[in-house]
Amino acid sequence: MTELRVERVADYWVARFQAMASPCEVLVDTDDPTVARRVGAIAYSEALRVERKFSRYRADGVVAQINAANGATVEVDEETAALLNYADACYRMSDGRFDVTSGILRRVWRFDGSARVPESQAVQALMPLIGWGRVSWQNPRLTLLPGMEIDLGGIGKEYAVDRAVGLIRAESPASVLVNFGGDLVSSGARRDGRAWQIGIENPAQLANANASRGGFELTRGAAATSGDTRRYLLKDGQRYPHILDARTGWPVEGAPKSITVLAPTCIEAGTLATLAMLQGVQAESFLDTQGVKYWCLR
Amino acid sequence: MQLKPKQTPSIRQALTVAACTLLSAPAVRAQGTWELDSSLLFYSEQDRVRAIEPVVRLKKQISEDEHFALQFVADSLTGASPSGAVPTTTPQTFTSPSGNSTYNTPANEIPLDPSFHDTRGAISFDWGRPLSRESRVVYQGHVSKEFDYLSTGVGATLSWDFNQRNTTLAAGASIGYDQVNPVGGAPVGLAPMPTFPTVKATSGDSDTKQLADLLLGVTQIISRTTLMQLNYTYGKESGYLTDPYKLVSVVDAGGNPVETLYEKRPDTRARNALYWRTLSAFGKDRLDFSYRYYWDDWGLRAHTADLRYRFEFGGGHYLEPQLRYSLQSQAADFYRPFLRQGESPQYASADYRLSEMTTSTIGLKYGVATRRDGEFAVRVGYMLQTGEDHPANAPGQLANQDLFPDTKALLFQVNYSLKF
Amino acid sequence: MRRLMLTIGVLACALSGCAFDRVQPWERDVLARKSMQLDAYPLDSFLDDHVYFSKEGAHGGRGVGGGGCGCN
Repeated sequence: MTELRVERVADYWVARFQAMASPCEVLVDTDDPTVARRVGAIAYSEALRVERKFSRYRADGVVAQINAANGATVEVDEETAALLNYADACYRMSDGRFDVTSGILRRVWRFDGSARVPESQAVQALMPLIGWGRVSWQNPRLTLLPGMEIDLGGIGKEYAVDRAVGLIRAESPASVLVNFGGDLVSSGARRDGRAWQIGIENPAQLANANASRGGFELTRGAAATSGDTRRYLLKDGQRYPHILDARTGWPVEGAPKSITVLAPTCIEAGTLATLAMLQGVQAESFLDTQGVKYWCLR
Repeated sequence: MQLKPKQTPSIRQALTVAACTLLSAPAVRAQGTWELDSSLLFYSEQDRVRAIEPVVRLKKQISEDEHFALQFVADSLTGASPSGAVPTTTPQTFTSPSGNSTYNTPANEIPLDPSFHDTRGAISFDWGRPLSRESRVVYQGHVSKEFDYLSTGVGATLSWDFNQRNTTLAAGASIGYDQVNPVGGAPVGLAPMPTFPTVKATSGDSDTKQLADLLLGVTQIISRTTLMQLNYTYGKESGYLTDPYKLVSVVDAGGNPVETLYEKRPDTRARNALYWRTLSAFGKDRLDFSYRYYWDDWGLRAHTADLRYRFEFGGGHYLEPQLRYSLQSQAADFYRPFLRQGESPQYASADYRLSEMTTSTIGLKYGVATRRDGEFAVRVGYMLQTGEDHPANAPGQLANQDLFPDTKALLFQVNYSLKF
Repeated sequence: MRRLMLTIGVLACALSGCAFDRVQPWERDVLARKSMQLDAYPLDSFLDDHVYFSKEGAHGGRGVGGGGCGCN
């Protein structure tokens, strides 16, 4: 069991904990450590709740229950239904590139920096079990083909951040910045009217000129990042990034190393970043047409 | 060749809508959903009443928590119903309610009124809407018409959620106004049935009845898998509560009918019911149990238990056995299967429904989910009503008669529902 | 009257939330099933009430304004 710690940093308090396999923190614009603890606890319990409910590794969770159904119809609750509706919308918007049934590809793709690119037959063998189009989703009833699985990991963390901020707003007027492993939301301007300052990793490598280098300010809104500079495969000089096209089962060619997008909510930011990654070499032009602020690392 | 105008991808806008829907928990149901529920009931008693009753309910979900529903019912009855008169060793002749004809009952058979046929049409509505985040109201109303009966009523039920929606309190009230136009007029209560062609004495062509109901209820979520409901209802009826077609036999010391009277009931009735229901899930299956204790100022007491267990077979198929047992443990004070010569009670009714009796029903329902969140189901049931065949005080020949022949009925119901 | 007091006692108990753990919105997957709704089958209830209203002396309990026929 990890724990929740609060400490004072400059003119605010920060609550830190570990959840969803990531370091998480909540910056609370207050001088009162009690407020920081209370706000931190809200974020912590919501992160644990979402993780417990939607992690595919938790046998008592909804996702595990769906994946264990082996072809049987599962009736889901309202919250799960809302997430599945969202996943359904993403699938259609991306023409099938973004697909919550593609998680089983992790059985053959392990992005550990090695050269172990799977055989194409191994990937092909999994393809009949991938495809949201093969799923029957009639709210609240979900029926997968036997052997199929869903994985809400691609949207779960961003969803948890949005949920946590919503809960904190209802409880406390203090300005907060919730950051779950790099996916973050600011609830509003700080006491002195300033914005929260966000730094960016490896600013020197930023490829697009559309954004300011070094960092950005977040008053009320969200930022999320897709891609991980540490997770890739490298074989024969070719770099395979950790972003798989659900239609082929293979990494997207020409995708940036990472993309950070600003949007009103974290889940929008995260989805836009992922959809851009899936556009490969066209990631930047895709984001330009969407008219969002972003940072692309190539 | 015509060129399509280049479309700007509006993925960002679509995402904003999708995210907004997702984050405005609980998930909002698509607006403007229609639901159609329909049922057809066949009811058939051995040698007695048969009925066909189609019901259609059309519901419009206006928003997440507002709906309007209209329900249409038609009801067609044929057959014969016990008149209340006792059987005897010789054939009996009765005058039909209209006074225009007679009918005969063979020796040693319970007298049945064969002119029992009716068609009813009813329309009702219910409209539910939120009053605040935690409270809502359901308005309801109905009009029902038979050739000899008109029933109207309106009501409202308020409910409040407490305790993070784990507890719901409800309070409801309704009023009703009914008008009865008995065939041949409303007979004078406890007046003798005249011998054909003399016409019965009537108190008028029609009469009325007023009804008021009150409800207090609480629904409590007990756990993730169990919820309970407890209701107390109070009902007050006043006006013409007598059944204009029911009779009471007056017998001599030998148990032989010397006269037949029209029944008479008090003109007020105060009803009470405590109703408890629990729904509990066991894995995918579900238990539905309810118990009701009923008492009124006529002296009637009844215990009613209803048990249903739904077995889910996956793919939307389910099977639900049903058991219902009702014990009327105490008869109405004025219930008299027969009167003795010389008696002059203030009220008397031989209507078996006011007696001590049991009603047992065993049933089975099979349902299957159809496309578009619809459902198809069939229900079959068998109902048996038994009572005091041989009351201890039955004199003479009556001691040898079955004064409470069992009522046996088969029920068959088909349901179909869909959303669109 | 004693029964009414009992009812009120149960109401008060339920209001204070005594003895029951609160079930949170996200734990309502089972309670959200159709089979767990009190009014999942309004026509079944309506027809049952109608049959027993016309065959028994006791009726009511589920709601207000039942009956509505001179059924015998």
